[in-house]
Amino acid sequence: MADPTRRALGGPGVVLVVVYGLLALAATGRSVLQLLSYYDRAPLAYTLSALAAVVYILATWCLVRGGRWVRVGVWACSVELVGVLLVGTASYLVPDAFPDKTVWSHFGQGYGFVPLVLPVLGLLWFRKVQREATASESAGTTATV
Amino acid sequence: MIQPLTYVVVALAVVLFAGSVYYAVKDRLMDDRLLAVAGLVEVGLLVLLVLGLANLGHITDSTEKATFAAYLVSLPLIPIGTSLLTIKEKSRWAMGSMAVGAFAVAVMAVRLQQIWNTYG
Repeated sequence: MADPTRRALGGPGVVLVVVYGLLALAATGRSVLQLLSYYDRAPLAYTLSALAAVVYILATWCLVRGGRWVRVGVWACSVELVGVLLVGTASYLVPDAFPDKTVWSHFGQGYGFVPLVLPVLGLLWFRKVQREATASESAGTTATV
Repeated sequence: MIQPLTYVVVALAVVLFAGSVYYAVKDRLMDDRLLAVAGLVEVGLLVLLVLGLANLGHITDSTEKATFAAYLVSLPLIPIGTSLLTIKEKSRWAMGSMAVGAFAVAVMAVRLQQIWNTYG
């Protein structure tokens, strides 16, 4: 039904959209709060928090739009995965730099480790969408079924 | 007033969650009955938003006050977003996202209540 070259939404993708949307909401809310009210306490952690928020919003957008945004989405999810691993490790090694919970610190423990699992699911989903797109292209159809 | 209302919202969100999971498993699409539950959750969250903002002075710590306000504002967006998705996406996956959204509402409403209770 859905044209995979145009839409990443459809099927399981819709659940990802909601989870991504929720994290985007949570990360944005939290980082705006942190940056506005006590930025000086941990500038690095809070800047990373804001970066996480931007990446989540971008990934949500890519999931909804599909099409050429799929490639951007792959980048967003990759940045996310690297981010959660780096920040997660750093928050254990240098706890002083991360006094408050952020989305990525302690591998997303404060969010039930969802931030750790989500980029993997996102990447798998985007890859599936890409694969279906190439499959329909090589079949010579315009995928309007 | 806020505390009992959060209980009601959490209970309704749990009903919505259970209903959505049931629909997803049975491969049923959104119907009026479940949409009505989502509507009730939404009304509860909107009343909570108004009451919460009006009584924001109850929370003295500025950080917690800001968190409380951010939750109040974010919460009503969730049922609207997931309900709209069930219109666009006609499959059991839409019911799955409805369930995820309802679960998030329940958790966030419990957090709201925890913050509120800290201040008696």
